Amino acid sequence: MREAFSRSLESLEQIFGFTERFFAGRDIEERHRYAVNLVIEELFSNMVKYNASGAGNIEVEMRHQDGGVQVRLSDRESVPFDVTAPRAVDPEAPLERRRSGGLGLFLVQKFVDSLDYAYRDGTSTITFTRNLDKDDVRD
Amino acid sequence: MFEIESAGDGTIVLSGRLDAAQARKAQEFLDGVACPRELDCTRLEYISSAGLGVLLRTQKRVMGQGGGLRLVNVSNHIRDVFRYSGFDKIFVIESIPESG
Repeated sequence: MREAFSRSLESLEQIFGFTERFFAGRDIEERHRYAVNLVIEELFSNMVKYNASGAGNIEVEMRHQDGGVQVRLSDRESVPFDVTAPRAVDPEAPLERRRSGGLGLFLVQKFVDSLDYAYRDGTSTITFTRNLDKDDVRD
Repeated sequence: MFEIESAGDGTIVLSGRLDAAQARKAQEFLDGVACPRELDCTRLEYISSAGLGVLLRTQKRVMGQGGGLRLVNVSNHIRDVFRYSGFDKIFVIESIPESG
């Protein structure tokens, strides 16, 4: 399934509608659905946040294959931003040192089994997979 | 769809999906509550990092006043998000009681 969404956080409601249609009728546990939704939101929000002036839509493609869900997000009018780079978030830090910046991509890296980023001719493509046979979130 | 409302006595009820599109609504509401004490998450279906950011800012304000937010009736999926971000260490979190 593939659909393009306008470059706005307001698109999130449509995106969750899209993922709900994808999940409908598939034997996928709620915890995996939650994880996939969260990762898509964080990556999409990041694309909006760091390239708000881009004119084109952002495309989301979902596949259910090989015991997992594979999702690809493509932005044809993007600036390079490697989402696979480690995030400097310390989950042990006390409250006074906590910041919300970077938390989204930190969670992304916890919830996926693979995460790839490619940039070519102005197009950013992020591909992630979530395996459906894992017991828990990756440590 | 996301809703936030006060149930009195410092209790705030959250329902629906607290995502990046709804974070401002949540923050503005919480900023308007003088001493929030408890967040009832019984009907909260989803939270992302944007929602965590709202709770983090609110917790800093409340603890600066000598208080602290307690999250009650938190689903397992949402609890996972708190756990993996380490937010379970900066909030008191109570899960939904086991049924049966």
